[in-house]
Amino acid sequence: MPATAPAPERHLVAHLARFSGELRHVGVPVGLRDEIDGAAALRFIDIGDPEEVRLALRSALKIPRRWWAAFDRLFDESWRRAALPHPARDRNAPRIPRRWRGDENTEAPLARIRRQLDERTGTGEAEVPDADGELPGYSPRALLRKKVFDECTPDDLRDMERLLERLAARIATRPSRRLVPSARGPVVDVRRSFRRSLAHGGELVELARRARAVELPSLVVLCDTSGSMDACSRFLLAFVFALRKVTRRTEIFAFNTSLTRLTPWLRTGDVTGTLERLARNVEDWSGGTRIGECLLAFVDNHLRHTVRSDTTVLILSDGLDRGDTGSLETALLAIRRRARRIIWLNPLMGDPRYRPEAKGMQAALPHVDRLVPAHNLEALEALLPMIER
Amino acid sequence: MRPEIRALQEAMRRADYIAEPSIVTAVHLARAMEKPLLVEGDAGVGKTEIAKVMAALMETELIRLQCYEGLDVNTALYEWNYQKQLLRLRMGADETEADHLEGVIFGRRYLLERPLLRAITRETAPVLLIDEIDRADEGFEAFLLEVLSDFQVTIPELGTIRATHRPLVVLTSNRSREIGDALRRRCLYLYIEHPAFAKEVEIIRAKVPGISDALAVQITHVVQGLRARRLMKPPGVAETLDWARALVTLHQDHLDADIVSETLGCVVKDQHDISLLHAEDVETLLAGAGAG
Repeated sequence: MPATAPAPERHLVAHLARFSGELRHVGVPVGLRDEIDGAAALRFIDIGDPEEVRLALRSALKIPRRWWAAFDRLFDESWRRAALPHPARDRNAPRIPRRWRGDENTEAPLARIRRQLDERTGTGEAEVPDADGELPGYSPRALLRKKVFDECTPDDLRDMERLLERLAARIATRPSRRLVPSARGPVVDVRRSFRRSLAHGGELVELARRARAVELPSLVVLCDTSGSMDACSRFLLAFVFALRKVTRRTEIFAFNTSLTRLTPWLRTGDVTGTLERLARNVEDWSGGTRIGECLLAFVDNHLRHTVRSDTTVLILSDGLDRGDTGSLETALLAIRRRARRIIWLNPLMGDPRYRPEAKGMQAALPHVDRLVPAHNLEALEALLPMIER
Repeated sequence: MRPEIRALQEAMRRADYIAEPSIVTAVHLARAMEKPLLVEGDAGVGKTEIAKVMAALMETELIRLQCYEGLDVNTALYEWNYQKQLLRLRMGADETEADHLEGVIFGRRYLLERPLLRAITRETAPVLLIDEIDRADEGFEAFLLEVLSDFQVTIPELGTIRATHRPLVVLTSNRSREIGDALRRRCLYLYIEHPAFAKEVEIIRAKVPGISDALAVQITHVVQGLRARRLMKPPGVAETLDWARALVTLHQDHLDADIVSETLGCVVKDQHDISLLHAEDVETLLAGAGAG
């Protein structure tokens, strides 16, 4: 099909820029460089053929597979309808579908979470000392480590966060397959040896060596943020925050009735602020749980590019599940086969009487490498050596 | 559809590669814009095949760099021929002009070209296949940037070598990890999905000579049914073709439950998956195949 009256290039570029803006608005990663590629690509195809334009833009803007649905929808709604045959349209106002125009009107669950966070982080200064008579601010480290998260005061929290960072800094490392120059490594580096020999007129006086590089472990964290886990999620997330600084790669997901990738939210490193942002953005924060379905969603959409053979997968959950356990087993099996290990952190295990009898836990146990408690700092500290190798 | 794109699709078909419009468009753009093409998708959907077919179409050399963990510059780009260099040093021991000697032993004669360097120094532009880039370390990607964005290579002892002709670069990834943004931005992107029904039948017919149409349709039904299930290793086109060839070798012209159970290993290559597929499942899959 021949192109329908080729539009002036400038016009097309402006249209592309607006379309890219709309893509960014719904969260599709499109950079300026991509736009340039997109514009270049349009010169090599038949712009009168919408399908060809769609395929070309998808390729040139490098739209990842998981964004295809959003891209196609926006392409149909925005590019195609606003496309060339309607020059009369007001092109200065980017047209954004109403359902993407922010969600400030969904305040109801939010307010509750904010209140919960405020209660715990304690915005009020006039706080009464704890029942056990401990003065606020007086928190010897030893005590702090054993303190159950549910019972913490705001000061404890701050101290704990500091302690967490120190803990995380101790995390050890694993050797990689990559070779890097080293004073006494096991492998002779011929290239550097030869270069050095030139100083001695071609005599190989000493050999340069290489050794295996040291690589930081990579970590994927799946954090249950349902109501029954509320008390813990904050600490576990703070712990994970601290870990991010010393691991090569950390991916964090939250789940309750649906799965959300948190990694992009954690850039700031400010726990309280981030948690509030999360509560605002994660659907159904502090709601119920459907572990199995959420883990399956993780397996389908994220497993392949986040979990490698050197990745430790941490699952933080109490295993109190409303969904069916079959999907939980399938998901764990799939993760197990890719990951280095799965560690399940269960805050309920702090209670010595606890037995993993919840249906979800029962189903999960055979597929999990370690089941460890996660009710206080001491428990988290014990976790570190397990992540190391 | 642009005539060039249609022509490319026809040419690829003649080379037995049944390409969907998304694939042809991406390959066309990669050639027209002289940009590398990053191809992602499940195992066995024909990612590597694109490079091979393009090399055949363009009647040029295919240079392949297989990535693996620990791949470094010495194996990917260039290496000095140390033996020859040492020998030359010994022979020229009495040579007083050190500068001259150094110039000689760090010359092109003593340089061993590895795939990346070879790809940019060829007389005619080759097809460069960088296979399974996700297996290489992340650091290696950074190193690829110079090569892929400017098509030039800097060797400290020699200076910068520029490509005389830009090769067509195809990078493939199984998505065992996310490819870094910097590299992704320098490429065009193509994600290949499992083929649709009609396309898969067509692929079988093109690649397995002597297969009956009915059998090709039946095989496709079963394979697509398998993909719809939650298997650890869903079969790719490569498995479909393996199976079709096996059945042709066994002189089968249709599928039944027995022959499926006997040859299932050609399609489902995972013990856990096989154990999941009970006898009645095979019946169900076949029933679907018969209905089609």
